Amino acid sequence: MLVLEKLKEYAAGPERTALVNRGSRLSYRELDARSEAFAAWLLARFEGDFAPVVLRGDKEPDFLCCLLGALKSGRAYVPIDSTLPPSRAAQILADVCPCAVVDFTGGLAGEGARFLTAGEADAILSAPPASPVPRESWVQGGETAYILFTSGSTGRPKGVSITADNLAAFLEGVLPWYPQEGGVILHQVSYSFDVSGCAVYAGLSRGMTLFSVDHALAAGYRELFAQLGDSGLTFWVSTPSFAELCTRSRAFDARLLPNLRRFLFCGEVLTHTLCGMLADRFPAASVVNTYGPTEATVLVTAAEIPPALRQDPRGIPIGAPIRGATLRLEGEDGREVAGEGQAGQLVILGPSVGPGYLGRPDLTERAFFTDPATGLRGYRTGDRCCRVGEAYYYLGRMDNQLKLDGYRIELEDVEANLQKLPNVLRAAVVPAWKGEKVAYLAAFLLLREPDGLGPLQRTIALKKQAARYLPAYMIPRKLIAVDAFPLNVNGKVDKKALARRLEETP
Amino acid sequence: MEEKVLQILGGLCGAEPGELSPGLDLFEEGLLDSFATVQLLLELEEAFGVSLALEELSREQIATPAKIAALVREAQG
Repeated sequence: MLVLEKLKEYAAGPERTALVNRGSRLSYRELDARSEAFAAWLLARFEGDFAPVVLRGDKEPDFLCCLLGALKSGRAYVPIDSTLPPSRAAQILADVCPCAVVDFTGGLAGEGARFLTAGEADAILSAPPASPVPRESWVQGGETAYILFTSGSTGRPKGVSITADNLAAFLEGVLPWYPQEGGVILHQVSYSFDVSGCAVYAGLSRGMTLFSVDHALAAGYRELFAQLGDSGLTFWVSTPSFAELCTRSRAFDARLLPNLRRFLFCGEVLTHTLCGMLADRFPAASVVNTYGPTEATVLVTAAEIPPALRQDPRGIPIGAPIRGATLRLEGEDGREVAGEGQAGQLVILGPSVGPGYLGRPDLTERAFFTDPATGLRGYRTGDRCCRVGEAYYYLGRMDNQLKLDGYRIELEDVEANLQKLPNVLRAAVVPAWKGEKVAYLAAFLLLREPDGLGPLQRTIALKKQAARYLPAYMIPRKLIAVDAFPLNVNGKVDKKALARRLEETP
Repeated sequence: MEEKVLQILGGLCGAEPGELSPGLDLFEEGLLDSFATVQLLLELEEAFGVSLALEELSREQIATPAKIAALVREAQG
């Protein structure tokens, strides 16, 4: 794997910082040594058992050491964000059957795997291995490098497997958008979201320093801006939502980040408003928009957005296919839509398309295929797009999946989990839109029996209960009790009527 | 002024303005997340014509309806 090769190369060279986390630094040499120690421990302890390693946490420096250590030992890793409730984490453990679980957050337990606390992991990572781990042990070729769990429409998260070959294809396509070597890259995106690969895989492969921003830091401007000011950041990677949050403060400009030369966005729709604001405040930085589903490894299109395009009435383009990726638009009949500006489902073909969903051949078969003409692996994205010249434009989803603040959410997932609450008979969740983006989610609830609570007390109580099953970003901001759902002509819950009702409430 | 603050808060967390007591801890009760917080501050700036320096605000300063009202009053000068 390129990232492991480069890690060794930079570790052998002059001192270079791999990761900064709240003032503490980890050098490439330390990262190589600590990941090597973890790999050696995994190999010695589990020998021929190549079950994945689950890593649960936020931005702990040892999270990255364990991640690379798992890869060096020939094992896939499964990242679980610290904000995921334990019950949802337990569902993932049941699907993965890991050999080891490193729990930086604390509180997870179970059978069948070796559970390590942060302290226990530190002891393992600090013990130098007797001999270096041979490169033949590294994850390679079609072997799984990571499994990421995303929102699933049944209310249970589904695992997307990505191989070493998929990552190699991603790097080949994305690295041309990176500086040749060095610099400081933003490392804010959660490990459980594949956009973090822009820092972890691409950043480390170019000898960059990862500047970590954990959840607590991202939640408050004062400390975040103080640290950003000292970061020396040169390369920004995030969802547009996180950058938008930052631009809400007038202090977010080139005086705060004088070395910043590029913004690379991924994960959701980039708006004209944000582009315009960044152009004003960071005249020396370019903006690159990208697009890609987790199933096809982080991103498959990219384009620099010059000021002229920032006025494009079609919206901001998601770009042209990166090197190695082939895109096609399909009509409802499955035939290719080739006309300029015509809408169709975006289909991705190429070496970055993953093998599919963990333990779900039914779901895999529905979305993934091998193209008979070219032999390439293909994935039907469920995204409606159109093409004008070289550039693709994102038009919307074909199903109930949406992006909220950069998070990928299936509405049915939220509904299924709300229906687990004791007094909720049925739930219908609708997005509240603000311009081109979802501002928040609202849930309309049919209660089993009257609870005698006012809207505020009910909201507080239900949010607390929902936190047992759902991560915070999936819990609707508004929880509204109704006596009955409006039905459409087919007898289904009329979500359009609910959306109108939401607009009418202040 | 307090009434307008409660109205904005009620709209953001799906409550009737009358239900929000001055000392209610909005973060503790899970009523505000970071994106709702930013929305709140923007709406306050708009409604009262004040300028709130986000990078200087801590969560503690906007934890309850009473604290938010005090903040707005201070910003109004």
